[in-house]
Amino acid sequence: MTTATPAATDLLGVLRGTPALRPHVDRGLAGGLRAWLEDGLFERLGGAPAPIVRVTPRLLGGVPSEAPATARLRGALLVQLLRLRVAGHPVAAPFEDAELALGASGRDDELAAALSDLDANDRSRLAAEVDAHHAVLAATLPSLPARWSPRCGVRYAIPLAGGAVLLRGDVDLALGASGGTRACVCLVDLTTSPLSAASDATLAYLALLETLRTGEQPLRVAALSTADGASIVREVTPELLADAIELVFDAVERPPAA
Amino acid sequence: MTIVERLCAPSHDVLLARAVAGPHGDTAVPERLRSQLVARLAASLGGDRRRHRIDAFVAELGPSRFDAPFVWSARAARRPIGTPVARLVAAGTMPDALSAAGPEIERLCDRSHRGLLRRGALGAWLEAAPTAVRSLCAVEAATWAERLLRLVEPAHPGTVAVGVPDAWFDVPGTTITLQGRLDAALRGGDGERLGLLRVRDGLPGAHAPEGLLVDALVAALGGLRPSRMVGAWPDAGLCLLVDVDEEAVRQAARLVLRCAETIATAPVQASGYVPVAA
Repeated sequence: MTTATPAATDLLGVLRGTPALRPHVDRGLAGGLRAWLEDGLFERLGGAPAPIVRVTPRLLGGVPSEAPATARLRGALLVQLLRLRVAGHPVAAPFEDAELALGASGRDDELAAALSDLDANDRSRLAAEVDAHHAVLAATLPSLPARWSPRCGVRYAIPLAGGAVLLRGDVDLALGASGGTRACVCLVDLTTSPLSAASDATLAYLALLETLRTGEQPLRVAALSTADGASIVREVTPELLADAIELVFDAVERPPAA
Repeated sequence: MTIVERLCAPSHDVLLARAVAGPHGDTAVPERLRSQLVARLAASLGGDRRRHRIDAFVAELGPSRFDAPFVWSARAARRPIGTPVARLVAAGTMPDALSAAGPEIERLCDRSHRGLLRRGALGAWLEAAPTAVRSLCAVEAATWAERLLRLVEPAHPGTVAVGVPDAWFDVPGTTITLQGRLDAALRGGDGERLGLLRVRDGLPGAHAPEGLLVDALVAALGGLRPSRMVGAWPDAGLCLLVDVDEEAVRQAARLVLRCAETIATAPVQASGYVPVAA
């Protein structure tokens, strides 16, 4: 089931849902999905040595492998602001705080350098954009209780087919603890672009990665656009995960972009 | 060398059971092997007055793993902060990792403020950092701690110790330190067999088992007696387990010696920075 919500809806409420109605964790599901993937990849790639195929959400969506530098910068700064919100940091000056956080993150050094190289005009424009996106983020994710075990920047690198295929991805925010009898992990993908059909593919793929990584399917996956506050929430079902596997097969068969 | 097991997304119970299913033999480092190792390390690097650290990363990736001197960042700080955070949550002292991370950072800042930390220590960096950076470190550390706690949820009292300190061994008469990275200790139901676990980012490389053996050796030199060493790569949902027996300890000692020989012949960079000896 897909829930598409307009701006300013209680995204966390939709993600949390009714605890008593959450589905039970299917302990055999991850193994079955992995076997399906391995069989399908062997059929498509065979056993011959070949360059490693790196599957990413962008590859699945058929979008260019790298976004423009300003879009990447904006996205990276918003991710830092999301982290600060999770920590409960009172963000008074979004751009300045995000810049500090990006510089001290120890990741994205290249982007941090690009940010410091911006001229005054580009910098002002970016600051205005970041402030506007942050206002939307603050309205959509007002506060996150620490008891929901929020994790930021969860990364995935799942090797398959003996290392010939690598499924990569990352989730900006994961909520809920795994290990129980009922699924309760929710994943949130933050984007500064408007949501599109590719967002659905990304969500299904991230749900698959989480299932393979932890052995438990997540409860829900969501995409949140800070461009307009719109969000998509999808229940994680076996059908959604099956769709994600087909997307991986399609991406592996697709000839690499020139 | 034998990789005894490769587990995909193991549950807590499975991981605990397999981590303590190692051989029953004594994994203490024989005194003769210890003295031979010390003597040969002293012969390789004993005349070098620079500080050298040999760990699993060096064993796996070689001496040129960094091209710049170390600087603190939220990424570098997440494990030193996240480890005590995980310990507090596992002990039930704090309800969750994020709630524990803030006070832990404040504690480090306070120690720095009172002059209890050396220059360049994490606490000194945190104390000088803006509040936004401290908040970022809290989130990174909480994420790290949650990741560790999800792997080995301490549901079985007395069997799992989360956030154990790393093992260190200063080679006598030299400036060499061996480091064994450890994140959790798991004990079997009989209480005898010990499995040690360490967590890494990304996915295991081709030489990952060699790194595990080096960690096990340093732990054994430090007095622990692991029967199995577990490497966990949560990003990949993978665990590799290696048995730690006498042959494995000897093999790890040979790896450490090979690292020392490589370091001894590694060129010093123009800046004066020695990659391994950070």
